Amino acid sequence: MSEKRYIMGNLAITRGAVESGVRVAAGYPGTPATEIIEGFVEYPEVHAEWACNEKVALEVTLGASLANVRAMAVMKHNGTNVCADILMHLNFTGIAGGLVLISADDPGGLSSQNEEDSRILVHTYANLPVFDPCSAFEAKAMVKDAFQLSEATQMCFAIRPVMRVCHSRSLITFEDYDARGFLGARWEDDRDRYIMSAVEVRGLGGIKRPQARHRWLNKKYKELTGLFEESPYNHIEEGEGDIGLVGCGIGYTYIKEAAKKFGKQYPVLKLGTLPIPEKKVLQFLKGKRKVLIFEEIEPVVENLLKQLCHESQLTVEVFGRSGFYASDGELTVQVITDAVKKADPRLEIIDEFVPKQLDIEVPVRTRTQCVGCAHRPLLYNLKRIARKKKAIVFGDIGCHDAGSFKPMELQSTIYCMGSSIPMATGAFFAGESRPVFSMVGDSTFFHLGLNGLINAAYQKGKQAIILADNGTTAMTGFQPHAGSGINLYGEIASKVNLEKLGEAIGVNVHRIDPYDINRTYETLKASVEEDGVSLVIASSPCFLMGSRQGVKFFEPREVKTDRERCNGCMICINDFGCPALIYKPDEQKVHIDELTCVKCGLCAEVCKRGAIS
Amino acid sequence: MKKDIVIAGVGGQGNIFASNVLCQYAMARDLNVLGTETIGAAQRGGSVVSHMRISDQAIYSPLLPAGSGDVLLGMEALELLRNLKILGMNGYYILNLYFVPTTYTNLGIDRYPSEEEIVHAARKACERGYEIAATYKAAELGNPQMANVVMLGALSKVDDFFDRNGVRSLVERLSPANLLEYNLQSFDAGFELA
Repeated sequence: MSEKRYIMGNLAITRGAVESGVRVAAGYPGTPATEIIEGFVEYPEVHAEWACNEKVALEVTLGASLANVRAMAVMKHNGTNVCADILMHLNFTGIAGGLVLISADDPGGLSSQNEEDSRILVHTYANLPVFDPCSAFEAKAMVKDAFQLSEATQMCFAIRPVMRVCHSRSLITFEDYDARGFLGARWEDDRDRYIMSAVEVRGLGGIKRPQARHRWLNKKYKELTGLFEESPYNHIEEGEGDIGLVGCGIGYTYIKEAAKKFGKQYPVLKLGTLPIPEKKVLQFLKGKRKVLIFEEIEPVVENLLKQLCHESQLTVEVFGRSGFYASDGELTVQVITDAVKKADPRLEIIDEFVPKQLDIEVPVRTRTQCVGCAHRPLLYNLKRIARKKKAIVFGDIGCHDAGSFKPMELQSTIYCMGSSIPMATGAFFAGESRPVFSMVGDSTFFHLGLNGLINAAYQKGKQAIILADNGTTAMTGFQPHAGSGINLYGEIASKVNLEKLGEAIGVNVHRIDPYDINRTYETLKASVEEDGVSLVIASSPCFLMGSRQGVKFFEPREVKTDRERCNGCMICINDFGCPALIYKPDEQKVHIDELTCVKCGLCAEVCKRGAIS
Repeated sequence: MKKDIVIAGVGGQGNIFASNVLCQYAMARDLNVLGTETIGAAQRGGSVVSHMRISDQAIYSPLLPAGSGDVLLGMEALELLRNLKILGMNGYYILNLYFVPTTYTNLGIDRYPSEEEIVHAARKACERGYEIAATYKAAELGNPQMANVVMLGALSKVDDFFDRNGVRSLVERLSPANLLEYNLQSFDAGFELA
């Protein structure tokens, strides 16, 4: 019996996979995709896991697929970059059991290190099909279709939900499924496909296997174009005039929303597949003078339409992301309205929305660590040492990366997962005379940081590595990892012993409790003064996670500021930066916000004038 | 009939709970509901915005267009101002008189406007608005994090669409057991404050 539930788009994707009989799901946490893997916990028939990184996740699911069960890999766009190597091989081999890759995009980079379009890596580069859902409802249907089509075509299918699909909340129908119908792995060797190596292929004139598989992939790709002509995710809506609007993925919904105010009804082409259905697109282009493409992030479909127009000798003007409207940032109803007005200046807008106008400057708000977080005393001490030693700190992804923003401005770089340690190695071998630190979180360390550590030791470099170990992937909402001691299901799991790992690699190992301000300072100082590579493991559970679970981190210490003693020196604000410390410009003094303070008492140790006690 | 609602605040203020209550309320009345929230890096003291759309017509985009909003719940004063442009002609706001400094205002690089300036600017931009000290009221009742429920109480007082008992019973149903009493007290306090 089916039922409707009001859920997040991500959980609609999970449910679509479960109804398709998925057996193995693997991913690495990343906003906006994280909840998809978490959603599998309530379905015991599925093995789901937080893999160390996205490449591992995709390889786990590929192994399951080749064992003839359905499998799904889940990640955000940055993670798909990490998968590029395996992606560029499984596209050539093809798959066995249905394999679906979810690569969520984040237009506007609201929760990401960059703004990038997964469709380019998966479709343009790897020649694999991509579905671009316009809603959570469609995303769920696409997941189910993708599994079927994946098996029918032997191709891995990708879906790229954008943040507004992942984080939408809507009513989703849960349909029945029969978990027993899908059980049973069945491995069958197929070395002609699964051995990707430069070996001569009999029967194809002795060409090497990579070329033979490339030929196969090209043939399969062409078949897809035909397959998608009848796809329910592509359709034409009739309208008036010779200007047409093309909505790809969520772009379609913004067109429909904007069109409520348009004085005329434009013809609309909704597209949800890559490759595009060429016949359907040509049918739409017939008689058009201009078409406007609305798609998230890059002009992927726009370029394909331009190519199609060129090949078909059509003189339609094609406008879109490449410059007709903003080439960066998230689409909005306003972006669509403005672009349509620009293309069709005679368009009448009925009862146009008039946004309220403010005549006051609204300061920006940047994130920081939570009040009570163990990263704060760690960053505070690292800043003191870095200043004293004139050191450079290479940063990495995680909650601690906010130490690179004001007021701390400690880390000099933030790139991608695991980049801190190798970059510090490079700076050292470049001959940089300033000492180098790198700072990496535990989840990031297991993701792609370990290789950098091994390399740093092996190359005989010199740096101090601060491993901010809070036992979880905190930034994305406390997902466990190989150092947590539990798995996705909360079951006891093996836990990497970081000290032994460091010793095995051959680096100097220190362990500290970041709440112990004095010892942390002394250890950090020693680590940067000693020879070779040092690994400082700063361990304390994530405060936000722990306090929600009732963990007691410290004896509550009621602190107050002494107005006489506070001289407004700003050390506590600049070097510690706890959000409960509030500077009053009129008094030129700091006070403690009682509603925010969690009574860790650390600021009392930071104030050298004894104004906080 | 449509009701487009935006809840704007800073991380940890319970936006998601409040939006869930309102959506369940609308669904129980057989209306279409579509929402979206900006979370993730927006947490850890950053801005958090939830959009919620309720209508008896088809809703396409979860993100509501600027100038089309009916209700803006500002859980924090700057976040209210930041999102005020979302309100449409007949839109109104409820401002929680709670002021969370930003890193830049704390450093003296930016200036946090005074309460008078904030209320003046909001009133000037939007004729209909209410100000209540939801966080302080919630703190008085035992937990400042119940400010979201105080705001829901206020909303059900000032907006005929939201029936007091209907919203209250959803708060009751959706509250975790340990917070139930606090939440109901907070809700009633919000209703009285507005």
